[in-house]
This record gives sequence, C-alpha cells and structure tokens, in this order.
Amino acid sequence: MDDIVVQVLIMLVQVVVLVLAISTGFAYLTLFERRLLARMQNRVGPNRAGPGGFLQPAADAVKLFFKEDVIPTLVDRGVYLLAPALAVIPALLIWAVIPFGCLNIAGDYQACFADPATNPNLHNIFQLADIDIGVLYLLAITSIGVYGITLAGWASNSKYAMLGGIRASAQLISYELALSSAVLAAVMMAGTLSTHEVIYQQMTMWFVIPQLLGFVLFLISGTAELVRAPFDLVEAEQELTSGYNAEYGSMKFALFFMSEYIKMIAISAIAVTLYLGGWNAPGLELLGSLMTGMAGPLVGSIAVGLASFLVFLVKVVLILFLFVWMRASWPRVRYDKLMYMGWKWLLPLALLNVAMTAVFVVVLPDALIHSVALFVASLVVMAVAYVVSSRVKPAPSRSRIKMVQPEVPRRPSS
Amino acid sequence: MFGELLKGLQTTLRYMFRPPVTVQYPDVKRPVRERFRGRHELKRFANGQERCIGCSLCSAACPADAILVVPAENNLEQPTSPGERYAATYEINMLRCIFCGYCEDACPTNAIVLEHQYELSFYDRQTSIYTKDMLLVPPDQGHGEIPPILTQLGDKRPSPPAQIDL
Amino acid sequence: MKAEGTMIKTEELQINIGPQHPSTHGVFRMLVTVDGETIVDLKPVFGYLHRNHEQIAEVNTYLQNMPYTDRLDYFNSMANNQAYAMAVEKLAEIEVPERAEYIRVIMVELTRILNHASALGFLINDMGAWQTPLAFGMREREKILDLFESTSGARLMCNYFRFGGVVRDLPPDFVPRLQSLLTGLPTFIDEFERMLRENEILRIRSEGIGVLPKEVAISYSVTGPVLRGSGIPYDIRKAEPYSIYDRFDFDVPIGTVGDVYDRFLVRIEEMRQSKRILEQALKQLPDAEGGHINPKARQNIRPPVGDAYTRIESPKGELGFYLVSDGGQTPYRYKVRAPSFINLTPLSDMCRGYKVADVVVILGSIDIVMGEVDR
Repeated sequence: MDDIVVQVLIMLVQVVVLVLAISTGFAYLTLFERRLLARMQNRVGPNRAGPGGFLQPAADAVKLFFKEDVIPTLVDRGVYLLAPALAVIPALLIWAVIPFGCLNIAGDYQACFADPATNPNLHNIFQLADIDIGVLYLLAITSIGVYGITLAGWASNSKYAMLGGIRASAQLISYELALSSAVLAAVMMAGTLSTHEVIYQQMTMWFVIPQLLGFVLFLISGTAELVRAPFDLVEAEQELTSGYNAEYGSMKFALFFMSEYIKMIAISAIAVTLYLGGWNAPGLELLGSLMTGMAGPLVGSIAVGLASFLVFLVKVVLILFLFVWMRASWPRVRYDKLMYMGWKWLLPLALLNVAMTAVFVVVLPDALIHSVALFVASLVVMAVAYVVSSRVKPAPSRSRIKMVQPEVPRRPSS
Repeated sequence: MFGELLKGLQTTLRYMFRPPVTVQYPDVKRPVRERFRGRHELKRFANGQERCIGCSLCSAACPADAILVVPAENNLEQPTSPGERYAATYEINMLRCIFCGYCEDACPTNAIVLEHQYELSFYDRQTSIYTKDMLLVPPDQGHGEIPPILTQLGDKRPSPPAQIDL
Repeated sequence: MKAEGTMIKTEELQINIGPQHPSTHGVFRMLVTVDGETIVDLKPVFGYLHRNHEQIAEVNTYLQNMPYTDRLDYFNSMANNQAYAMAVEKLAEIEVPERAEYIRVIMVELTRILNHASALGFLINDMGAWQTPLAFGMREREKILDLFESTSGARLMCNYFRFGGVVRDLPPDFVPRLQSLLTGLPTFIDEFERMLRENEILRIRSEGIGVLPKEVAISYSVTGPVLRGSGIPYDIRKAEPYSIYDRFDFDVPIGTVGDVYDRFLVRIEEMRQSKRILEQALKQLPDAEGGHINPKARQNIRPPVGDAYTRIESPKGELGFYLVSDGGQTPYRYKVRAPSFINLTPLSDMCRGYKVADVVVILGSIDIVMGEVDR
C-alpha cells in the first residue's frame, strides 16, 4: 500500500516538475527565437528586461495575464473557451513518454544502457511513463492538437479565423500521414514502440544515418504539423491576420501560443528520440563508471542522469535552432502548393521509405549492413527526387529579364 | 527541389555572426547630421536681447499654420529685442509643424532656427504647443552682434528688413 | 481539378481585407469574394487616407506646396519634389543650373534604390518571410536616408528642391560618402538576389501569379516597374528624357511574363541601373561654381497665366503634376497623377482566380503607398 502511495507521490512530483519545466522552456524558447531571429536580421532583439533580455518572457507573461479578457459577443462561447485548453493539453501530454535523460533512482547507471528486454529494473525518473506503445501514443496525441486550432477557428465566428481553422484541419491531417509514415520506418528499424527501447536500439548507430530520408521527411512534415514557417499558413499574419487565434486575447491567446511552442519543443524531442539517439551520447557510460568508481553507484547514476539530460537538451536546441533558422530565411508556402507537396511528394517518398526499410531490414538481417544500405538508398532517393523536382520546375533562366535600350527621341531643338 | 533553399539559409546564418546594425536608441543616441531640422529654438544676440522682432514672417511662411506670433511694443528703457517690437507671444504647435524649415528661411534676423532636438512627445494636445519660454535659449547662449539697421531707433525707423522674400 | 458541374456547390464568402490589415500597406480595403480560397471577385476600396492634398494646394502658395508633396509618396519625397519643381519651373519658365540638375538626378536615383530595396523587402514580407529581407532592405535604405539627412536636413520629408535648383548645395563630404555607399551597394543587391531569386518557395509564390498581360497593362495605363514587368520597355527617362537623363547610359529592364516574379526581378535590375546612373552622375558632376540654385529664381512666384504638365519616372511609375495658374500666388488648379493610384486599378483583374494568399503578394508587387493613392 505504502509503496503505491510513494509511487503516486513521486509521479505527482514528476508531473508538476515536468509541466513547470516545460512552461519555462516554452517561455525561454520564445526569447531564444526572438534573439536568434534578430541576430539573423542584423538586429539585437529584446534586451531590455533584465540582463540580456533574460526577464523578457516574465514580462510578456505578466502583460498577458493582466490583459483584459475579452470574449466577443457572437462567439460560440463554450467551444470558444474550450479551444485553448484543447490546444495546450495535448501539447503537454506529449511529454509523458519522452525520455529526456536517464536517471535510474535504483542507483545503477548501467540499467540505462542495458537491453530493456532483459533488464526490467530501470526506474528512470527522467521519463514519466515508458509505455509499450510510446511512439503510437506520440502520434495520437500530436494529432489531437488540431482540434484546438480548428475549433478555435470555428468558434470565433470570424472569417479570418475560420479560414485559418479550415486550413489547419486540412494541413494537419495531410501532413499527419507523411509524419506517421516517416516515424513508422524508424519504428521498423527499432522493432519496438517503446521510446526507451528505441533509444537503446540506437546505442550503436543513430537512426539518422539509415533513416536519413525519413529524418528529412520527419522534419518537413513536423514543421507543417507545428504550423511553423514556412508552413505557417494557419496563422499567416500577412494573409489572415494570425488566423485561428485572431479573436483571442490575453491568457487565452497565451495558451495557444504556449501550445504551439511546447509542441515545437516536443517535435524536436521526438526527432531527437527517434533519429538522434535520444539522451545518449558516446562517453556517457564511461562517465557513469568513473563516477561510480569515485563516489558510489548513486552518484554515478545521478551523474549519468544529469549528463544525459544535458545531451538531450543540446540536441533539442539544435533542432529548435533549425526551426528558427527556417523561419528567418524563407517565405511562406501557399496553401494549395502545400497540399500538393504533402500528397504528391512527401507521402509517396515516406511510403517508399517504409517499403525500402522493410525490404532491407528483412533481406539484410545484419544491422550494420542494412543501415549502410539504407543510407545509400536514402541518398539515391533524395538525389532522384531532387533531379525530378528540378525537371518539373526548372530554374528560371537569366533571360527571364531582358535589358533593352528603348529608342530615345531627339529633343526638339528649342 | 530544396537545393536553392539552402542559399537563403546560408545568408541568414552568415548574418548571425555579424554585429547587429541596431542603434540602441535610448542608451545610444545617434548624433544627427548638421543640417537636421528638429525642434525650433528662438535665438538671442550676444548681449542677451532676443533676436525675434515679432514680424510674423515665419507665421506667414508656414505652410501648416503652426506658428502664432503676437507682437508687442518694446519697452524703450529695457528693450526685449532690438528694434521696435518683440514677440509677446510666440507659440509653435508641434503637432501641426511639418519641420519644413520655411520659418527659418523667412526669418530676417535668424531668430528661429530648427535645431537638433528631435524627441518631441506629448501626453495631450495642450502640451504640444511650445510657448516662447520653452523655445527661447538661455540669455548666455546668445551670439552675433545686433545689425545696425535694428539699432537705428528713432522716429524714422525702417520696417524690418526682408532678407528673404517669401 | 474537376469540371465546374461536378463540384459541390459551396457558398461564397465575402471578406474585408483591410482597412486594418498588416499587409495592405496602409489603410486600404479590399472587398474580396472567395470561393474556398479562390478569389472570385475583388473590389478595392480606398479613400481612408484622403487628406485633401490637391485642394489644400490651391490655397497654399507655390512654395508652400513643396513640403506637402513630400507627403504624397513618403518613401520618395525627393522624386515628388522633382516632379513638382519641374512643373512650376515649366509654368514660370525658370532655368535650372547644371549642377542643380545633377544633384537632382543623384537624389532621385538614390530614392529609386531605397524605394526598391524596401518595396522588395515588403513584397517578400507579404509572402511570409519573417521580416528578414525587409530588415536587409531597411538596413540599406537607412544608409541612403542618412545621406538625405546630411544633405537636406530630414530623412524622409526632405523638402530639398526649390524652383530653379535645390535649397542647399551638397555637404562637403557627400561625394566620398556616396561613393563608399555605391561600392557597398552591389554586395547588397547580389546578396538579396542570391538569397531569394531562385528560392523555390519564392518562385512558387510568384511565378505565374498576378499576371498582367501587355494589353491589359496598357489599357489600364499602368506605368513604372509594373508596366516594365509586363514586357513594355517604357521608361519616361528614355521615352521623354527630362532633366539631364539623356546624358546617361543605362538599360531598361523588362520582364517577359508580367507576373509577380518579373516585377521582383525588374526592381532588382533597376537598382543596378540606378547605381550605374549614379556613378556616371558623380563623374560628370560639375564644380560647386555651377551653383545649386538659379540665383534669379524667386521662390515667391506668381507664374503667368497658363498651365503646365510635367512627368517624371518616379520609382513607382509616371508621376505627373498638372498646374494651372491664374497669375496669382497660389495655383488655380493642382492635380497629381499618382502612379500608385493608377497602378492599383488593375488589381481586381490581376487577382481574380488566384488564392487569398496571392492577393497580398500581388498588392505588394504593385508597390503602392497609400499616401499617394488617396492623397
């Protein structure tokens, strides 16, 4: 009995700490993005609140908290109020299965690196729940987020918001397919749906190498899933004046904002887990054994836990950097072209990737060989796709613009 | 399909490592150029007398009708300005002013000059009207001698010279 | 796409884009009828920024109108000044010294560069690039505005031209500063072009979008880069060389398709040509003895009874001023032929059949300034 109470207590503490940490992460991601965008645009970015703008997120939060909470008269009240919650809760739920480190409180760091099938004594407090269908859960929860956006667009009773909502439902559903297919291939490589085990399977080689194509597809469709630039049609400011959340203000807007950024971190975390070896990095085991030798198993375990968390963080930040970088560089894709790309390029490529992975994994049972083969195949497929796409839409010729010298009429000699 | 996109990424990445061009305004104030047309100032002569002789030419030249000049007769014992009259009221409505510099061009005594102050903000329309006290420079900041034509006091005083007709 | 009859009938939706909208470039309203995301009809509504410019001008003296022309197209105050000054000079038969003409050309060509740099930035921004090209364009614009500030005393509302010349001569350090700006300019243009010219997303967003065929462009009397993007080599600097433009060697870039992409490329190329003109103008610039203003020209003029129309190639197109004098201090009639306004008229023809997202891009490619449209 006591055991369960303790476990529940630990779980609660974990949940509270996790949610707080993610909210802080979200807040500082906004700062990170703004500063980075500014630097890419030759600007400085927010640097007034606190040293180096460090308190800017707090200032924003305070501002949003104290804004008047306006509910437009003609909105569908119930749905209107529910929508922000529907957006932000799935974004938080995603984190339940993501291992963002490995701290075994049982006090044995080696459990982190052992085969989970033969070593069930792992109590990793850096992962809320290592459920058997972890990856499936991730896909399911990320898809639910679209309800918040669509319902917000519908309930706002505003034309811009509705267009945003319609775009959201179409875009998110189409890209869900490519995203899931990309993930499917990675899962086939790992042979498991458990997130911890996926990481274990990448101890020798990160899946980004055999699944290079899958990784690229995941990033593209992940960006679309996040409605981030260049696929941010749902809240296209220039067209729809920020789309689905046009009628939302104060904290309700902040919740949408929060859900978007938390999902952004989450998608990066999923990419890290599935393709970049999760929290693992070469040398972690060595660190564990060193610290255990010096100060005992518990310290070793904690050292590994913290180091692995750091590794995870670095990898996530790298992917977040990529998202911000893309936002700084590219214009937005048009809605119909986005659909075109999703259905005619990404989905076929993702399916091809799944087929390729299946064939190679079965035909070449040795992990190293089929990984290398898949890597080569990915490169070939990408090269072919590149050539075909440039045939479909050849680069503009220099003669697109002609330089002419129009006839200059003589001035009347006056 | 994605090859050319990388060029854009490359450009933005390169800029990330360059120093920003921003001037951090309230901390760093970029000095304005010498000819900058900012807030007006009413100048004085070296002896502390006001240059403005209340002729209202600036007011006439102003395209935006921003200047109000109400002249008054000088007290002959303690003249405020050389010449017959001085500006008893001199007001510029900074919300109307378009900083074209015509008042400066029109002024026969170079009394009104558009100086380099550009931080003009107000809480209400009343405070946007700059009165003479606000525009006039302190007495020790005068410059230049009084032109003889203005000191020929007497009955046959010439009317204010029109340097630039407008 | 299926044939019309087999599609599900859906209700059309009317959306007001503007007057308060981030990408209508001012207070401009487009009443858009959409079927899904496709534009069925578009009705431009303007007049929200009407300031009675032409009527005020009939009350003001000729000189007092000069600062008001700054505020028509507030990106190109120098070009507006030139057009107005030329109109009055024609009306009152005032001669302009050579040096003043060169100073005018330098200023207007700088204006062209800054206008195109920022217009392209705004265009890409309308496509959804999160302000990066705009920030680059604005950075370049700032350098030119600094030159304007040191010359005329104001960055935007220059009020630099007078009848018979310009109000002050160039500051002593102007020429070296302009030269260093010109050496840095190709880097900016090349970088801007490299960053975006072949960018797939930009091409998807602009190629074949907002096509304005030659005939339509002519029938709407469109001018400027929009007309040249449609493939008509019409540039007033060449067609009717005013000021001293017949002394410079430059090309007129024209597009082949007439879509947004062509207008984008034409503007980039025009910046290069402006740079060429500037280099030649600097080389030919007469000494300061030439005088920056005709000393005989009075500013407080009463032109003889008559009328005059002059036009210049402003960065946005043909900018013309029509003045009628009744012999008094103020113009009897004052009319501005505003390129932004006339280029805006084919908007609904250009937008019909495209998507909602294209409307803002097409609008951005026309490059309007509401101050000039509504006057």
